[in-house]
This record gives sequence, structure tokens and C-alpha cells, in this order.
Amino acid sequence: MSVERLKNFIEGEWVDSESKEYGEVRNPAWDRLLCQVPMSTREEVDRAVQAAKNAFPEWRNTPPVTRARYLHGLRGLLEENFDELSRVQTTEHGKTIDESRGETRRGIEMVEVATGIPSLMQGYNLEDIATDIDEYCIYQPLGVFGHIAPFNFPFMVPLWYLPFAIATGNTFIVKPSPRDPMSQVELFKLLDEAGIPPGVVNLVHGAADVANSLLEHPDIKGMTFVGSTPVGKIIYRKCGETGKRVIAQCGAKNFLVILPDVDLDSTIPSLMTSFFGNTGQRCLSGANAVVVGDDGRFYKRFVDEFVGAASKIRVGDGLDESVQMGPLQNADSKKRVIAFIEKGIEEGAEVLLDGRKLNLVGDVSETCFLNPTVFGNVTPSMTIGKEEIFGPVASIMRAKDLDEVTEMIHGNPYGNAASIFTSSGKMARKFQHDVMCGNIGINIGIVAPMAFFPFSGMKDSFFGTLHGQGRDAIRFFTESKIIIQRWF
Amino acid sequence: MELNTAAAVIRFAEEVEEKSAQFYADCAKKYKEGEEQFLSFARENKKNASLVKRAYYGVISDALEACFSFKGLTVEEYLFDTEFDEKAGLPEILKMSLEIEDKIQKFYQRAGELSESLLADVPRALKKVAGKRNERKHTLEALLNRTR
Repeated sequence: MSVERLKNFIEGEWVDSESKEYGEVRNPAWDRLLCQVPMSTREEVDRAVQAAKNAFPEWRNTPPVTRARYLHGLRGLLEENFDELSRVQTTEHGKTIDESRGETRRGIEMVEVATGIPSLMQGYNLEDIATDIDEYCIYQPLGVFGHIAPFNFPFMVPLWYLPFAIATGNTFIVKPSPRDPMSQVELFKLLDEAGIPPGVVNLVHGAADVANSLLEHPDIKGMTFVGSTPVGKIIYRKCGETGKRVIAQCGAKNFLVILPDVDLDSTIPSLMTSFFGNTGQRCLSGANAVVVGDDGRFYKRFVDEFVGAASKIRVGDGLDESVQMGPLQNADSKKRVIAFIEKGIEEGAEVLLDGRKLNLVGDVSETCFLNPTVFGNVTPSMTIGKEEIFGPVASIMRAKDLDEVTEMIHGNPYGNAASIFTSSGKMARKFQHDVMCGNIGINIGIVAPMAFFPFSGMKDSFFGTLHGQGRDAIRFFTESKIIIQRWF
Repeated sequence: MELNTAAAVIRFAEEVEEKSAQFYADCAKKYKEGEEQFLSFARENKKNASLVKRAYYGVISDALEACFSFKGLTVEEYLFDTEFDEKAGLPEILKMSLEIEDKIQKFYQRAGELSESLLADVPRALKKVAGKRNERKHTLEALLNRTR
């Protein structure tokens, strides 16, 4: 049986890649081949950039209200295909169907916000900056933007940027992750169906070579990226060298802080979602759970309930609605997470729950699966306490007070998110004020900003100036132009 | 079997609405004196299913505790039988309807409580349907009293 080979979408056409090199896209739950993805050539990137460049003049002159109508059309199509889009995500990524539906909804919300572009893109003015002289600030699109997507949210993450980029009048190129590119193919089918003019949006499959071609291309005005910190640093540097704007949203090591006054019954489900949702493969996942204070009884109760809940998580194929955690996206990720678990044991952390002992629902392949792992007695200096694991591993720590927690968080190079669980408004206020992380949660396990707020991030979790989503995105994708006028 | 995820709960809600709607449609054909009421129940079931699905699909997000909100919601507690004896009279059917509605109402009520504060808008929709099923029980009791 022949396996489907994915095509690129360039200038409004689905085209076979000229590449001889193809990667495999596999369903991680069953370890089955789904399709092959081309490692496109530099020439194909050039063609996509040229198409986007050619489409730009007409697209930027298309009234914002008309551009918004295309997005309204897209939104309708996304709603119509909601469940199919979600199933594709679960099939190629492995996450649960609830998580995929959540991802689809988040993606649609980006499109919804971008439909407000006639209001969002408005500039401002002031009459009489001097007698009979007026000044205006208008926002204009820049040209071609590119996006390098991660594997953890194959549908949603490109939508953090694409709708804002094209709504503001730019043209756009997406390079999906070669591990799970099918969701983007489905999205681009709908972009095509929505009638978006040829060249405005383009899809080029591939890996590092395609990413480098985009980064080095002189006709690309800006790049957006979500992925690891080491790669984000390279992208930031390369964009600096070629004069591009850049949003690089990177790695994380998120601390979730638990005070003894907490409502534990409500908090535990929230923590399970944070640590083990999406199989721990998100930049907003909980990594370190820090229990504050010297209340030994509370600590024991917390550990018992946390480990008890984690041990009951049903792990299996995400399309099974009783499953609460899917596999890791690929076998290499599993190996990487196991190496972290081994390192944790070697450095003296206590294994409270060992996810290497598999307990799976159904007859799935074990290739990419791990059950949840929980470590106790973890310190911030241990490898598992400081490095991003990107898998279903929780490290429980203790701190004497909130100041010590803040020190712990600030001692870590990342600054993506941190949450506090408490009934005390005073403690919560101190936490949000003191902690230097881009996204702060108060009794929230996953601090995912809505489409109309920027997805913030600090320190090694973010490189750039303006963030994705919300007003930041509008500013990122536009140049401000000042007009000062006087009439004689 | 435990209904442990939002997806499983929503699917079960759809199933109970569909199954009980079919039951009421069958009742309407057989019991002319209750036809209007039974058909009205069957129609409302479709609206209930839409209400719950709309709430779920509208707010489902990777940040919500969709996979971890429900604990102790066992399917077996809420299963009901819709087959009735062809010779059964209206009072028996009304009693059977009451038992069905009681189970469905309890399911929605419990699901709503378990997801309270964890799933935005979904608990409200679940509890709203629980309230409707409760009203239905009163209607059925009144009908039953009239047949006595």
C-alpha cells in the first residue's frame, strides 16, 4: 500500500516537493506510519518567499475589513471541521481528544480576535501639534513573515501568528514541525477553501534546512518561532544579523507553588492538568511543585494526594475518551525523558512514582509511552529541578516561605510561567508582584494567555521585544509611520 | 465504567438524550393521551444535547481541567432501560419515565457538581439540564396523578 506524501502549498497550489528526502510521520500511540513529509529544498523556500512577496502589494491594499471577511470565512470553516481537525491532532501528536479540542478552540480564538483588525490596526492622531499642523501615526504591514512551528501544538501555535500577520496585510509562510505536519495541511486546506488569494499564505515542509533558508532569506521581514531555548537563541541571533523582526518563544521550567491554606480538592485536578496534560509537552507545563511552610502534616497529605492522583491517570490512545494522558510524541522524546528520570535517581531524588513501569489502557504500542513520574526531595540545583524535561515528570520541592520560592524561581534561567495555589489574596498579590515570569497563575495550573492578550515570557523563555497574540502581535506585524501635515 | 473526562461525559450526555428521546417518541406513538407531552420531551432532548455540547465546544481549552474534573461518575449508576411491555398502560409508562428522568437528572447534577470551578460554563449547562429534568419529573408526577 502506498503511503501519502504531503505536498507543499505555494502560491495557492498544492505542489509535490522536488526533494528526494522524506521523513516519516507516525502515530505515536500505535507506532503506525501515517504519511511521509518532504524535506523541502532551498529553491522551494525561495519559490514560497517569491510567491508571498508577489502577493504582498495587492494584499496590503486590500481593505482591512475585506481581509477580516476572509478570516470570518476561515473561522466558519474551522468550526465546521472542528472535530476532524481535533482528531488529526490526536492521531499525529498523541494528545487526548479533549486536549486536541482545546487546541482547536484556542486556534479558532486567534482567528476570531484577528477579525477585529479594522479596529485593532487603527493608528492615532493629534490636531495642532503646532498651529495648523497635525500629526498622525498609522500602522502599515511590512511584507513577508515566516513561522517555524513546534511539534507540541501542531495546529494552534502557527495560529498564534498567521491570522494577525495576514489580517494586518502581510503575507506568511509556515514551516510545520516534520514530526506532526498533518494538522497544518488540514488548516491550509481550509485557508485555501476560504479563498485567501494565492501567495498570501504558504506552507513549506521540512526541517532545519528549511528553517535556515527562511532565516537567511533577505526578503523575509520577520520570523516567529516556538521551540527550544538553544534553537531560539540561534534564531534570535540570525534574525539580528539579517535585520529581521523576531518573536522566539522558548523553553521553560515552571514552578507551581502550593501554600498550606489551599483548597486541595480543587487544586489536585489543576496540578494533574498542569504536570501531565499534553504529556508534559508544553512550555506552560508544571515542572516543579513547591510546597511552602513547615507544616509536615500538610506536606504529607499533599504528597499522598498528588502521587495518588498521578498514579490513577489512565494512559493510552488519546482517541479513547477514557484516556487522560497520551503518549509522548515520538520515541526520541521518550528516551530523553527516561534519561532525565535516571539522572534524578542518580542525583538522589526520591522516586515516589516511576512512570517507566508502564500501565497502559488497551493494546497500544509501548514505543512512545511513559506513565507519570513523581520525584520527592528534589532541590533546584538537581538536573531534574533546573532543566526542561518536556515530559510527564513532576518534581516536588519544599521551601520555608514565599521569599525562598521567589529566590528559587529567579535562580532558574527560564521565566515562562509560575503559579501559586492559595486562599490568601495577600500571598497571591506578593507572588504576582515579585516573581519575574511572563505568565503568572493564581490558582491556575496552565497560564495560557487568551488570544487578546500577549503570550508573555521572560529570561531564557523568550527572545524578542513584542510577544505573540493580542496587541503585541498587531504591533509586531506592523510598522508605525508618522505623518506631519500642514496645508498652505 | 467511570466517566473520567469531559469528552466522555459529553458523549454520555448525548447518548442519554438520544436514548430517552427515542423512548418518548415511541411512547408518543403508542399513548395518544400523552402524545403531545412525550413529543415535547423528545424535542427538548435535542435542545439539551445541543446546549451541553455548545458549552463544551465553546470553552474547551488546553488550560482547563477537562481530563481531570470528573471522579466517581460511574456509568452503571445512570443506565436506564427504555424497553416497555406492549401491554403496559399509561400509568406504568409514566412511572418508567419518572425512573428514567430521575437517573438522568442525577447524572447531570453530579456531573455539574464535579466540574464546578474547573470547567468554565460547562457545569452551568449541566446543572441547567439537571433543572429541566427535575421539572420534567414534576410534570410526569402530575400526569401520573391525573391517571389515578
